[in-house]
This record gives sequence, C-alpha cells and structure tokens, in this order.
Amino acid sequence: MNKAQKYSTDGAEHNHKAAPMVEEITDFEVLEIAVRELAIEHGLFTAEDHRRFTEFAESVGPAGGSRLVAKIWTDPAFKARAMEDPVKACLEIGIDWSKPTGFGTPSDYTHLTILEDTPTLHHVVCCTLCSCYPRPLLGMSPEWYRTTNYRRRLVRWPRQILAEFGLILPPEVEVRVEDSNQKCRFIVLPVRPSGTENWTEEQLAEIVTRDCMIGVALPQPGRTADVHPVHKARRPVHSSHHEEAAR
Amino acid sequence: MSQKSEVDPRRVGLLEAMRGQGKEWEVLAPCYGVTNPNPPWKTSLAAMCDCLDVSGALPTLDRRRAEDELAEAVYGDVPAPESQLLTLVHTMLNRGLVSERELASRMRTVRSRLEAV
Repeated sequence: MNKAQKYSTDGAEHNHKAAPMVEEITDFEVLEIAVRELAIEHGLFTAEDHRRFTEFAESVGPAGGSRLVAKIWTDPAFKARAMEDPVKACLEIGIDWSKPTGFGTPSDYTHLTILEDTPTLHHVVCCTLCSCYPRPLLGMSPEWYRTTNYRRRLVRWPRQILAEFGLILPPEVEVRVEDSNQKCRFIVLPVRPSGTENWTEEQLAEIVTRDCMIGVALPQPGRTADVHPVHKARRPVHSSHHEEAAR
Repeated sequence: MSQKSEVDPRRVGLLEAMRGQGKEWEVLAPCYGVTNPNPPWKTSLAAMCDCLDVSGALPTLDRRRAEDELAEAVYGDVPAPESQLLTLVHTMLNRGLVSERELASRMRTVRSRLEAV
C-alpha cells in the first residue's frame, strides 16, 4: 500500500481497498471526449448544457417508479390523483418531469399514462419508432429496450417475447402492448402480489423493479432485481423462425 | 422505422480502425474485475445526445433512425454502448457537424492529454 492509498488528504488513516477499475485508455473513451469538445467548440451546445444533462442522467433511475407504484398500492387517495394526473402526482414523490430544463427534455416532457394491470389484463411497453422511455421515473432505458429486435417483435408476438423474459401468461390474460412516442409515455402498474398484505411502502418498492414497470416481469416477494440471461429479445431471431413454429 | 434517414452507410476509416481490438467495455471490464455494466463515458454520451436534440443540431428521432440503420448496415457486430457512440459520430460526420480530419486530430490531442504524467 502506498502513502497516497493509506492516508487521505486530512491525514486520517484510510485502509479500505480501492474498487477495481479499467486501467487503460480506450479509443472509445477518447472518441467520446474528442467529439464532445468539438461539438462545444462548434457551438452545437455549451459545456454548461452538457453538465446539466449529465447530472440529470446520473440522477434518474427506476427507484422513482418503484416509489410511485408502491404508494399507489398503499394509498387509495394518491392512486386516484395519480390516475387522474400522473405528472402532477409524481411531484408528491419528488419526481419533477420539468427537469432539467424547466420543460423537461424534448424527448421526455410528455403525456404520461399509468397502465393498470388487472388479473385478466397485462400491459407491456415499447417504442417501435425509436426508444422513448419514461426516464424521470425509470432512468435510462436498458439496452435491450432499444434494440429493433425487441421493438419489432413485441408488437407482433408479445407472448413469445414475454416468455423470453421468463414471463409466461395464461391464455385468459389479455396482453396489451402500448407503443410510446415523443409525446406519450407509459408506466405499467402491476397487480400487487399476494403475500404482501402488511408490507410497508418501502418493502413494496423493493419488489417493483424496472422490468415490472415496463411489463416484462411481475413483482413477487423475494424478487428484488432484474436478472435474466441474454435472451432472444436482444439477439435477433429471424421471423421465419416464427412462421415455421406457427405451422 | 419505415422512414429512411439521410445516413451514408459507407464505412468511416477513423471509426473502422477502432473496431475488432477487443476494447469494448463488455470485453475489457471483466479483464480488470470491474462489474459496472457501463463504461464511465456512457452517461456523458447520453447527455451529449440530449444536448444535440435540444439545440436542434441532431434531433432524437433522426439520430435514432440513423442509429437503427447503421447498426444493421455497418456496426451490427459492435456491442452497446460502443455501437451507440460509433453510430452517433458516424451520423455527425455525415451531417458535417464535425469532420473526420479534425476529429482524428482532436483524438490525438485528447489521448496525449489523458496519458500525460
């Protein structure tokens, strides 16, 4: 351990082991910096703009959506307000859709709809056009959500796609796919699972993961993370596969 | 997805030289025992995309359409988020927002700065 690792700047002993880091500079890292610097010099945006949007991207995550769903599950009056005006209700849990510019971002400030599941109706969200996503509530979209494979196939074969995420729904459950766009964003309100009757909002929020609010998973006690293998929604399967399977 | 962008799928020498070196994050991170799924520059890249959208220099829908086309035509074997970065730069080059020559020069400057001791 060298001196710099052992002592912090105020002289206090500092014994914890540093987290591993990638100790080489890649061309990708260099490219990102270079093109950003040139864009700023060319007046395409300012360094202040970039700092503000970076802070926004760092500050958002799925925890806001989890809190929204948990509060709706436990507070009927809040649920009524949220279903009536979701953006306004988000302010009650500290989510401000007007950030970071005062009018959101062009791709974020939109009409938000909460899609309420029932025991016989399941919603799932995509954006066939690009990758519109309720970032103030769910953070940055996962890579698979952006793939053309997920977007194209979900609207055609929703049950197959859900099955690839490990969500197999019985035939009596209707599946509705909602297609986001630049002005319409959606978040799924899943059915509160049994076995959670006496849980607090905080406990409930832990099982409302990002995938549950996109609609590719269901909340359940004990499931607190979206962990799944690389699935076909990410790795393309040619459409002829489905045609053959349908024969 | 049916509309076509004005993207030029011809390969860009500067970007081609970066491919196939095994330096993508999903390859590199495990070599160093790093578990963060995204490289440190990912957030900055997302912010840059937002900035270009807000300023009107490259609207999100145009960028994403070009990204879809280039991901299929040129960068299909590149994982995210490197593919997102390459398609963004490719699109900016196509639109004349930056030139390949000045970008190559700036990359040399940036690298020497980062490697300074």
